[in-house]
Amino acid sequence: MILYTPLSYQEIFPEEQGTGNEIQAIEWQGRTVFVSKNNNGNYQINQLISSNPNDYLNPEFLPGRIIS
Amino acid sequence: MRMDTDENENQEEEENESNNASSLVEKIQQLGQANVPQAPDSNIHVLSIIGQVEGHLQLPPQNKTTKYEHLLPQLIAVEQNPKIEGLIILLNTVGGDVEAGLALAEMIASMSKPTTSIVLGGGHSIGAPIAVATDYSFIVPTATMTIHPVRLTGLVIGVPQTFEYLDKMQERVIQFIVDHSNIDSEQLKELMFAKGNLTRDIGTNVVGREAVEYGIIDEVGGVKEAIKKLNHMIQSSKPKLEEEGTA
Repeated sequence: MILYTPLSYQEIFPEEQGTGNEIQAIEWQGRTVFVSKNNNGNYQINQLISSNPNDYLNPEFLPGRIIS
Repeated sequence: MRMDTDENENQEEEENESNNASSLVEKIQQLGQANVPQAPDSNIHVLSIIGQVEGHLQLPPQNKTTKYEHLLPQLIAVEQNPKIEGLIILLNTVGGDVEAGLALAEMIASMSKPTTSIVLGGGHSIGAPIAVATDYSFIVPTATMTIHPVRLTGLVIGVPQTFEYLDKMQERVIQFIVDHSNIDSEQLKELMFAKGNLTRDIGTNVVGREAVEYGIIDEVGGVKEAIKKLNHMIQSSKPKLEEEGTA
């Protein structure tokens, strides 16, 4: 694989791997969303993957929404 | 007895109220507002390509990435859905996987529906072929595009063969940009191998209007211009019969 980017190798692959919040892609109401687990063990939406601009106005998919 | 039932009712009411209040508070905490207006179905769909273009290799979690396996099926869906008439690509990318980027660019270029792109912030490296892949491309005045050679880091086994491979890879990128924009390959190579412009690399950082002057991007503009152009292309791509009917 060849990366074509102005970033340096170290910026993309840092030696210290931070244990950031694990982000998973899941299916939620027929759309793909990225979620992360919050402190209470609930999943919270980080990002919506959709090409329909109206999905981004739908409160169901807004970032920060806690889904169960 | 009466007192008891009253108290119970009061308690229930209080609970209801606090439930309503807490769901409202939750909504405000999550969304920053209580209600979001609903819009009618849009005939224009949007794809945003942000951060690194992620392809064959999963990048470490601190990288913000756009995964091409998410975008490719969406492009097919946009092409197939009769209700969708146009597509806008929003780009703010630092580049990424060459083959994933080229795959996206080829997919966008081979769509039958009208497409426009807006380069916002940055459309570096592999962002350039994606930006020019659309029917008409825009760049906002403050956005930049870094044009530089494809590089390789790490252990190299078989130097001449690797060089050959890298050269071909670069040629694919150059060829795609030349085929889909108004720049010729000599000028593009000149920008790519220019010295003294970038601190740690050879190449050129072209800003907004410059990208248009070199012929890489079609026009300087933002959302308003891109939507207007797209609507115009949608109208002119509709069958002529309709036009005759209305005239």
